[in-house]
Amino acid sequence: MTQSIPRRNFLYGLGASLGSLAFSDLLSAEQKPSQGPLAPKQPHHPAKAKAVIMLFMEGGPSHIDTFDPKPTLDDLHLKEFVNKDDKISGMTNGGRFYVRSPFKFRQAGNAGIPMNEHFVHMSDPDVADELCVYRGCQAESVNHPTALYHMNTGNKFGGDPAIGSWVTYGLGSENQNLPGYVVMTELAAPQGGSGNWSNGFLPAYYQGTRLRAEGSPILDLKPPAWKTREHQRANLDVLQEINRQHLAEHPQHDDLLARMENYELAFRMQMQVPEIIDLKNEPQHVQEMYGLDDKETAPFGRQCLMARRLVEQGVRFVQIFSGGWDSHDFIERAHQKRIYSVDKPIAALIKDLKARGMLDETLVVWTGEFGRTPDNNVRGGDAAIGRDHNADAMNMFFAGGGVKRGTIVGATDEIGAKAVEVVHPIRDVHVSLLHLLGLDDNKLTYFHGGRFKQLSQFGGEIIPEIMA
Amino acid sequence: MERTLSARSNPGFLRPFILLAAVALMATVAAPSVRADDASTDPPAEADGNRIFAVHVLPLMKQKCFACHGNTPDDLKGELDLTSREALLEGGESGEPTVVPGKPDAGLLLSAIRWEDYEMPPKENDRLTDEQIEWFEKWVAAGAPWPNAETIARLQQQAWASDTSGGMVVRTSGGLSDEWTHRRYDPTDVWAFLPVPSQEEIAVPEGADHPIDAFLNARIAEAGLEPAGTADPVTLIRRATYDLIGLPPTPEETDAFVAAWQQDADRAWLELIDRLLASPHYGERWAQHWLDVVRYADTSGFSNDWERSNAWRYRDYVIRSFNADKPYNRFIMEQVAGDELDPDDPEMLVAVGFLRMGPWEHTPMNPNKESRQQYLDDVVNGIGQTFLSTAMRCAKCHDHKFDPLPTRDYYRLYAALATTQLAERPAPFLPEENRNGFDEGRQHVERLLAFAKSEQDKLYAKREAAAKKWYADHGRPDDYVPYEVRLKQRNVEKPPRFVGLSTEEQGTLKVREQDVRIWTRRLERFQPLAQSVYYGGDLYQKSIRLRMPDPNKGWEMKKAQAMPETAIYAGGSVFAPAEPVTPGVLSGLGIPVSTEGASAGDPYALPQTMEGRRLALARWIADEKNPLTTRSIANRIWHYHFGRGIAANPNNFGATGKKPTHPELLDWLANEFVARGWSIKQMHRLIMTSQAYRRSTAHPDPDALAEKDPTQDLLAAFRPRRLTAEELRDSMLFLTGELQSEMGGLPARPEMNMEVALAPRMIQFSLAPAWQPSRTPARRNRRSIYAYRVRGLPDPLMNVFNQPGSDESCEMRDAPSVTPQVFTLMNSDVITKRSVAMAVRLEEEAESPAEQIARGYRLITGKPLDASLQQTLVTHYEKMTGYHREHTPERPVYPTKVTRSLVEEFSGDPFEYEEMLDMYEDYVPDVHASDVSPETRALADVCLLLLNSNAFMYVY
Repeated sequence: MTQSIPRRNFLYGLGASLGSLAFSDLLSAEQKPSQGPLAPKQPHHPAKAKAVIMLFMEGGPSHIDTFDPKPTLDDLHLKEFVNKDDKISGMTNGGRFYVRSPFKFRQAGNAGIPMNEHFVHMSDPDVADELCVYRGCQAESVNHPTALYHMNTGNKFGGDPAIGSWVTYGLGSENQNLPGYVVMTELAAPQGGSGNWSNGFLPAYYQGTRLRAEGSPILDLKPPAWKTREHQRANLDVLQEINRQHLAEHPQHDDLLARMENYELAFRMQMQVPEIIDLKNEPQHVQEMYGLDDKETAPFGRQCLMARRLVEQGVRFVQIFSGGWDSHDFIERAHQKRIYSVDKPIAALIKDLKARGMLDETLVVWTGEFGRTPDNNVRGGDAAIGRDHNADAMNMFFAGGGVKRGTIVGATDEIGAKAVEVVHPIRDVHVSLLHLLGLDDNKLTYFHGGRFKQLSQFGGEIIPEIMA
Repeated sequence: MERTLSARSNPGFLRPFILLAAVALMATVAAPSVRADDASTDPPAEADGNRIFAVHVLPLMKQKCFACHGNTPDDLKGELDLTSREALLEGGESGEPTVVPGKPDAGLLLSAIRWEDYEMPPKENDRLTDEQIEWFEKWVAAGAPWPNAETIARLQQQAWASDTSGGMVVRTSGGLSDEWTHRRYDPTDVWAFLPVPSQEEIAVPEGADHPIDAFLNARIAEAGLEPAGTADPVTLIRRATYDLIGLPPTPEETDAFVAAWQQDADRAWLELIDRLLASPHYGERWAQHWLDVVRYADTSGFSNDWERSNAWRYRDYVIRSFNADKPYNRFIMEQVAGDELDPDDPEMLVAVGFLRMGPWEHTPMNPNKESRQQYLDDVVNGIGQTFLSTAMRCAKCHDHKFDPLPTRDYYRLYAALATTQLAERPAPFLPEENRNGFDEGRQHVERLLAFAKSEQDKLYAKREAAAKKWYADHGRPDDYVPYEVRLKQRNVEKPPRFVGLSTEEQGTLKVREQDVRIWTRRLERFQPLAQSVYYGGDLYQKSIRLRMPDPNKGWEMKKAQAMPETAIYAGGSVFAPAEPVTPGVLSGLGIPVSTEGASAGDPYALPQTMEGRRLALARWIADEKNPLTTRSIANRIWHYHFGRGIAANPNNFGATGKKPTHPELLDWLANEFVARGWSIKQMHRLIMTSQAYRRSTAHPDPDALAEKDPTQDLLAAFRPRRLTAEELRDSMLFLTGELQSEMGGLPARPEMNMEVALAPRMIQFSLAPAWQPSRTPARRNRRSIYAYRVRGLPDPLMNVFNQPGSDESCEMRDAPSVTPQVFTLMNSDVITKRSVAMAVRLEEEAESPAEQIARGYRLITGKPLDASLQQTLVTHYEKMTGYHREHTPERPVYPTKVTRSLVEEFSGDPFEYEEMLDMYEDYVPDVHASDVSPETRALADVCLLLLNSNAFMYVY
């Protein structure tokens, strides 16, 4: 059942003669980082990046209003848009009209990457010139949960392991006292919920652990307030005593030790997790850099700073969800606010990683589940300025670990309706991310349901243009 | 990863193994003898080479190589073209020869397909088998001939016409290519598709009274092992009780059984099995297995996660069916075609709820055809996995790579379901259905609905007042029309859509409107409706409201009578219908359809009428000759008893599933099952009366066992297992005395970790309602099978102990140990309450702390407590009493409302609203630590440890 836990029957023989030696000492002496399902593993080929921080803008940020300006739309603004497509859904029928971007753009950095003017901090050349903006990705679904599942797990209908689970399955984690794959959301979980960071058919060790925005960072991390740590330790020692007697009765049962060991690991995590996520340990100027002093930027800033601290501690994959990008109407106000809330934190994250020499080995990914349309439908008879979901065009950016710096890859058409250059489906983005981490999607497989399953489902191609 | 040839990091690693394997294989093949390492001395005749190429090598190259090295000349990977002999000899960008005729040890092609220097094809799934590599080797050894197209065609025809070229042919309705249609199978790969031999044809080995033991012991002896001895009776009653009812035995039951066992062990054992099978809790336990496979949930998943308000009736139907020992063939018929079997029987309308179990929604966001395809794909796959242990999904886009399952059969089955339509159908409640709690439940929902409506109406009123004012201000007071009318007006100057409402109010309005939909839907739970199906044409109804076609709506009736067209979807795309198909069953089994309406020339055809397709399909599945059906269920029953199936992938008997370890035994069981009237309870008796089931988990010679049967396939010892999530929670409630024995009825809402219960959860337009536990212990502390299953909100307690999600069929439970389990089981509110309740019970049942602790140990682990451990625990109890005198728990406060914060999607502004938590207004809590003395809390600490112990967690 637990394939990677080695047989350790010899411990039973020792147990009886060790007398008063605490069980925890025995285990920690015995525990080696090379053991266990989350032990670090060799990649398939030399890795460019060791860790990933994935910033997920849930709702579908508009490429046309972030990093892919379309001046052609200025001329078409409010003219009728005609769609002839048999894949008609409520998203694409009804009266429609073109919508120009309500935003001004600036050319950022030496690379001149166009950015919505509200990306004030991101347009700093120190940040902008680290970015690889990719405009060629195409999703498949215009429905939030299916598109979210697709981007996060490679399978539109959910149920499969998330990319973070695949990566921790492939590489293990550098820190055995922390989860290898950490997820931070806003207070509300995104549509599709925990299916977005599920281990799917991979063993449960690889499930994303949600660090909660409020309350206990990990569910039930601590006992009730009236039970102290000393109390917990005393309880644990007696539990291991009970278990040791049981082990003596069942020396052939391999799972028992692994389970006993988990109690010790949990006890250590109880201590360590709160320390790592306590941002008070960060100097004032760092907290300010991430925007912790502004209530608009503080929530996402805290998560970005936490992400850096976690990666520093050896966590393999950190994913942060930022919601509210689904701007069907009034996109000017809505996108402006969303951009404001993430601009400073993301810029700080990239600069901070760079300053600490971590950016080279950390891959930062910014993406949504799809892009938005160059047009809008007539909602309730009003011509409101916003955009619908668009699976044919979107933009994302990468920074750090092994990607080209200060560049734009791929392009969408004149009006941003469809990707036309360096066009790749989501699976190719997945394959490329794995490649940067030293993993080969075709080899990162798990036999389940009668076939070797892989993140890309049936294989994909890397996108060479984004590689440094 | 790249499709281009890339050098391997550790060349040669696999080489010795593959060569050895190839040599070994060849020794057993009566083909021209060619040794891979010395081919030149005895090259096969050129004619043989031609034949090998035409029949074996070329089809493999088409299937495995041409996608990257042939089909598109401008996009050849590694500049390597494999589509002609010339191109092959010329090689690719590496400059090395691809093939050296006559020398199978040279050339990049062979080393690549052996995964030596290069690894081709690059995907694990596409990798060639040793036998396939061998064909390439023979062909190269024969000089790598490449005959012309006519010769190839002639040689292929010849090979297909003869039955002598190795492997077996499986006749099917035909693949997309002749090569697929005529391909050969290794009989061990298609074992499950072959007929089950009759009982007379199966030789039961000598040497044991019980046939199961005879089969197993023969293999154990062959391996040079001894079987383990019989487990002790205390272990056995715990094993059997958990196995059949999912709960632990009481100490009294254990004592009685041990006494009876000492009198007459066999008789005591039989009586125990009969007692447990007669318990109504048997159905609760075994229905859970079935619900795992069919993916039971009370909601639909995806963006709205809509209520399936009456799904609980299907859950209870399954429990009743198990308790009544409904013959399995009947169980199949009812679930696949109950509505056609007897539309006037409400039970039958509930039974086809099976066809409604998968996650599915259809909203205005989804194209009609895609949603419909998503449903039908899901049902085709669900039927395949559930009843036939077949992975149908693989044949959606192409002929099955390994199994005799052409994509045509996939779409014939799809066509069989194409007239299956979804509806919440009227189905009067049955007398045996539990309707307790209906009144209170309805009042609760009505109250929430009234609240949502009144909040919604306030905002409507405000908006309409502002609209009237707008018209007045614009000098057109008489132009005022209601909102719904204004919405449709175009090219008219009119008030803004949300006139008079702040962005916060706009957001709140959407929330309230969604709440009205949610609670309206949940009210259906109390109506005599069933999540059911009917036959008819496509209406493409949105999943928020699925109803039978309305006879008063002509257009609806017209659509309902329009026969859906069915075709093979090229590459699985619903927008690319190719060859039309008519309904049919899996042809590769050779089991004809027995229903009239099947056409004479096509024994596998199902009726093409609107009605009767599913009924005929159900009959075919439930045919006693259907080898997949009977093997599937026999294997599942075995799997649940022993923790692993005879074939270890109960959902996949295909070539890629694990092969049966004891194929004759499986066939024997399948026959026995049919002979015993498809009775599942008879199978329990049969299996549990074997010595194998009664064996100890401890083997007398563990080293020999580890060496000779490292994967424990032989069952020389019994396999221990961890409690499932449901067993864990149910046992805790049972041990504390809190578990309610009431069966069936409305979903119970157990207490859930408060942070998760109240955490906001995004759904379309809004946040999902909070999880509120049922108000009274009687309603919430029920068995876990009755718990409300929300696809988007797994209960963390259950989830962390590997309760499967309800999106994919679960063929077997996992049980890895992970740290979050420790947090849950040491720290959570749920476990803390159970430990206190346990302590309270022990204080009632025993006098001194030492006795209480001994009683607790006995209850939880089933075993007596030895003196030294008792001393340890008593000492701990005393120490903890001191601790608890100085540490007082706070009394919990239950919130009666929660403030929600959401970002308004139109404006990006955050806004807040209040959600009512009415359950907590007069909540009846479970016993809490703050209710009891320091002594009780100290005893609760001991109980907590016992509930965390391995002795409790594992069944031996």
